[in-house]
Amino acid sequence: MEIVVLIKPIPEAESRLRATPDGRGPEPEGIKFVLAGYDESAVEQALLLKESLPGSSVHAVSFGPARCEETLRAAIALGADRATWVEGPPEGSDDPVLAARALAATLQTVPHDLVLGGKQAGDDEEGIVPGAIAELLGIPSFGYVTDLRSSGPSGLTFLRPTEAGVEQWEAPLPCVVGLQQAWNDPRSAKLPNILKSRKAPILKVDWPTTSTALALEAKPRSIGEKFELPAPRTGAKMIEFKTPEEAAEKLVRLLREEAKVFP
Amino acid sequence: MTPTVLVLAETSGGLLTGPTKEAIGVARTLAGSDGSVAAVTMGGPSALEALASFGLKEVWMADVPPEAATSGAVAALAAHAADESRAALVLLGGTTFGRDVTGRLAVRWGAAAATGVTEVAITGPEEVHVRRPVYGGRATESRRLVGPRTVIALRPHAFAEAAASAGTPTVHALDRSVIPVTEGAARRRSLAPAEPGSGPSLSDATIVVSGGRGMRAAENFHLIEELAQSLGAAVGASRAVTDAGWRPTSFQVGQTGRAVSPQLYIAVGISGAIQHVVGMVSSRTIVAINTDPSAPIFKVADYGLVGDALTILPALTREVRKVRGLPAN
Repeated sequence: MEIVVLIKPIPEAESRLRATPDGRGPEPEGIKFVLAGYDESAVEQALLLKESLPGSSVHAVSFGPARCEETLRAAIALGADRATWVEGPPEGSDDPVLAARALAATLQTVPHDLVLGGKQAGDDEEGIVPGAIAELLGIPSFGYVTDLRSSGPSGLTFLRPTEAGVEQWEAPLPCVVGLQQAWNDPRSAKLPNILKSRKAPILKVDWPTTSTALALEAKPRSIGEKFELPAPRTGAKMIEFKTPEEAAEKLVRLLREEAKVFP
Repeated sequence: MTPTVLVLAETSGGLLTGPTKEAIGVARTLAGSDGSVAAVTMGGPSALEALASFGLKEVWMADVPPEAATSGAVAALAAHAADESRAALVLLGGTTFGRDVTGRLAVRWGAAAATGVTEVAITGPEEVHVRRPVYGGRATESRRLVGPRTVIALRPHAFAEAAASAGTPTVHALDRSVIPVTEGAARRRSLAPAEPGSGPSLSDATIVVSGGRGMRAAENFHLIEELAQSLGAAVGASRAVTDAGWRPTSFQVGQTGRAVSPQLYIAVGISGAIQHVVGMVSSRTIVAINTDPSAPIFKVADYGLVGDALTILPALTREVRKVRGLPAN
């Protein structure tokens, strides 16, 4: 099975987020970008599938600025066989439909039985890219997937928790799957593989090539205007009490009358 | 300008779902007095009655069984309805189904798109502004969506549900031949319905009660569940609890678990490690109960109680049940 796994560098969980000086987007300067969250689970899932189906390969693909390269190397260190960086526009863009168009243009030129990704990116949380890519490639797509398994050379089974309950699906290949965060504890890369990944070749598809292929669609139509952080929390109002009953009574009163969040 | 706003309606048990009613409410506001609100449904005739009671002028209808309702099939039909209704904007509820269709529909219909939206305004002839939480609710962004067509999935619970309003919609049948043949091979084999009385799921809940190591033992965790039940809340847990096997990992809130942003988050016996905090800090109101007055959780909480969870929880559950008029347990 030719497995493509889509990944996006996102800020480390502990990062201190702030806005750019013009206030329009998150400031990338001083942030450590990593392979994490949904994408880390997707890479793990891709590797598990590869291990269960001899002759399979995993191809990591990332769209965006130069920091994609380091995230792709992290995927190689974990076991991806090859990697492609699809360069974003020089002025930057975080339009998810544009990202999907650029990625789909590249995927059309590489083998892909299964295109795996997180159900959404860990930063912008749009969840638009997997479905948009599938529509562009003309193949089925499924988001919010868990427990993905191969059912022979040309099909998959998986579960999908929805508001109504847990659905069980059978799907043909090729298709696109957006994964829930897995609970399967993604593996860590071994040091020799990390060292080897630093020298691994990464194929680059430059922006002029992509923008020519996309023609009029190469312009973002979703544009960040303002990036705001909540006012820092100033610490809890401490509730003094002598008995548990007093604590309960005071807390419920505050939740009803002051915070107004009591059901 | 008289915009038509098209809502992709979902039904459950013959009734419109909450997120769909929220979308109809937003659509009414956006359409204003000179625009109109239409709907597209995959639910067939059984969905019509539900839609008629919300005053929609026109309904585009297909009858797609849930077993075959893939995002590709639904997007194809919804794009067709959007063309026929001459909609400028398609709104979807923030459900699994709605979120899953958004990206496909955006491409199929040639639209700009955004999901998880908590504020939306039409600001020009080909311009829509949205606000949406990002980074697990640690920040909020405003985006400008440009072009004649826009697809927006709303965030659940962010808007009020539309009130019912009688009407008799004109019904248009959608031609299923627009569904790509590649969608035909995918099939939903079964649905294990959510257990009634199992409470809301972590990501849908407006209140979450989470327990941590301070609960001291697995056999005390029922105190968390009883408080959650009295509040109609979902139950969460810190990593210490799931690592110890007191509860499965699906309960875990935090960096390696689920990110939640309910109206009220009650952290019980949770110290407040950054890995937990990133998963709950965007909750509107946070309550912390902990024996250690210097626990970092009190820095992110709005209300703090220093004390033993094992004595405070039963009293709190009793008080909640009393105030809500529920029978004492």
